[in-house]
Amino acid sequence: MMRILLSILVVLFLCGSVLADDTVCIQCHAGQEGRLSAPVELWKTSVHAANGISCHDCHGGDPTDFGMAMDPSKGFLGAPAYADVPAFCGRCHLGVREDYESSAHGKALKRGGPQCVMCHSNHAVQKASIELINEKSCTRCHSYERAAKVKAAISTTEANIQQLETQLGELHRVGIDTKKLSGKLFAGRNDFRRLFHTVDVEKMEAETAGFATRLGKIGTQIKEIKDELSQRKMVGGLVVLLLLAGGCIAMLIRKSYHEEE
Amino acid sequence: MNIPKLAVDWLDNRLGIKDLIYQNMGGYKLPRNVNIWYTMGSVVLALLGLQFLTGIMLLVYYVPDTEKAFTSVTAIMNEVPYGWLFRYLHVVGSNLIIIFMLLHMMSVLFMGSYKRPRELTWISGFTLLNLGMVFCLTGYLLPWSQLSFWATTVATDAAGAVPFIGEHIVAFLRGGPSVGAPTLGRFFALHVMVLPLGLMGLVGFHLFCVRRAGISQPPFGDSYKPRLFGEGFEHEHHPDGVPFHPNYTIKDVSMVFFALAALVAISFYAPWLFIPPEALVPADPFNTPEHIKPEWYFLWAYQTLKIFPSKLLGLAAQGVAMTFIALLPFIDFGSERRPFKRPLFLTCFFLGTLLFVGLSIWGHYS
Repeated sequence: MMRILLSILVVLFLCGSVLADDTVCIQCHAGQEGRLSAPVELWKTSVHAANGISCHDCHGGDPTDFGMAMDPSKGFLGAPAYADVPAFCGRCHLGVREDYESSAHGKALKRGGPQCVMCHSNHAVQKASIELINEKSCTRCHSYERAAKVKAAISTTEANIQQLETQLGELHRVGIDTKKLSGKLFAGRNDFRRLFHTVDVEKMEAETAGFATRLGKIGTQIKEIKDELSQRKMVGGLVVLLLLAGGCIAMLIRKSYHEEE
Repeated sequence: MNIPKLAVDWLDNRLGIKDLIYQNMGGYKLPRNVNIWYTMGSVVLALLGLQFLTGIMLLVYYVPDTEKAFTSVTAIMNEVPYGWLFRYLHVVGSNLIIIFMLLHMMSVLFMGSYKRPRELTWISGFTLLNLGMVFCLTGYLLPWSQLSFWATTVATDAAGAVPFIGEHIVAFLRGGPSVGAPTLGRFFALHVMVLPLGLMGLVGFHLFCVRRAGISQPPFGDSYKPRLFGEGFEHEHHPDGVPFHPNYTIKDVSMVFFALAALVAISFYAPWLFIPPEALVPADPFNTPEHIKPEWYFLWAYQTLKIFPSKLLGLAAQGVAMTFIALLPFIDFGSERRPFKRPLFLTCFFLGTLLFVGLSIWGHYS
């Protein structure tokens, strides 16, 4: 089920990329000044833009019609109120929303607690990384002590995920079909990021071992593929040496003919 | 009873094969100073043979359908036993063939071997080089990757610059207004049937020309004298030369071994040299990659089109250059073949090579 959902999401992303750069929202706002045009440039730098998620995917409306682009009958939502942001983002990021809402952050929302854009920003939203947890950002609301513990609890797993992503990228570059493994890692990474949105250090520490096992299985499969690639290279090297030897022997035979000639 | 001997004798009594073999092997004499550059043709021939074999292996598993082509290539690379090896040998081999064809052509140019009576050998050889590039172009589309799709779109689009009939040529090449299933169908048919048949015929004709005219004396050393050919047919004999077999064939074998070593080394250690990242992503007609570039041997043409203010002028410049090279034996018809006694030719040769390399590098980084 998870795979099907992921596939649907990927297809939606790809379909979105068709229109991402070419909507009436972009055309109109890009030509304006000040705060009306600022989101366009910010969005262009975002992970959303890189994945084909455009204005209408979040704000609704008709991206093909100037007249109806901001019509509520076409689903236009505009900018959400501060407290509505988690629900706004959570339409796509369902799991994260669930964990956030049950967290200390989520529970504090009505009292002005942090929501998504506080840490991730809005239009310039970047690919999430562990560096989002930093003293400067967290101390805007509270001391860094607990956040540091959260960061420490997830650092190893997060680094492991990054490393596996890099290794899968390298395997893909040499023609290995990494689709299944990438899917597993993608699912694992999402589940893990859900977990740390709970900002519950004890829960994170308790569940990290499970993630380590999941990631370990992926790592083992990657290692098996790498071992096979190394074996291929060994055999290839041997064949190259044999061919070079064959060439040299043929040259020596030719030289012996020279002496006869 | 020695059955093989009996079979050979039986054939010899009817077709005279022993005499035929002797005439074309041991009795066929080559100049004593034939150099390593004379082996380039044999290397190309060996690599073409390997392309044929690996191509058949790929053909067993490849599916020429826009919905299945990329998946079938992925399966060849990951599921078919040794499929990755056949594909890499095929991809790297195609690039090496172009490299060795270019080296072969440049050595023939440098030594003036294209001159009378070898005009037809030159023209057939030059046509073979172009056929080789068409082979690569058609093969490029088959994996139906982002690179395949967009490189073919750019390449076929260039034909649109031809006045009056440009649009029709593009539609004919693509089988429709844009690259799609009909394009894949016709490129596949060209790649696996039409071009191999054409290539085999042309290689046969090229070898026939080489054999009939005889191997040209390398234009180096004190013993070399420019040779004047009369009006009638004349085979260039080398009565005091060395036998083609085994004295020369062993040199061919040696170079073929070295070329295969290069092929295997690249296939096992650096196949990505000829497989850019865009070739690993399935074709998406709605998502244009930022920097789509043709393969290295088309970069000069790509850059030429960009330099000229209009595509038509660029195409015309390419056409003039290619026609000039094809007809070179009829333009440069003097009997002198020694490179250092032909300063004008030598200057053009080096400037032309520099231009080709320069435009290619410029095209790569532009």
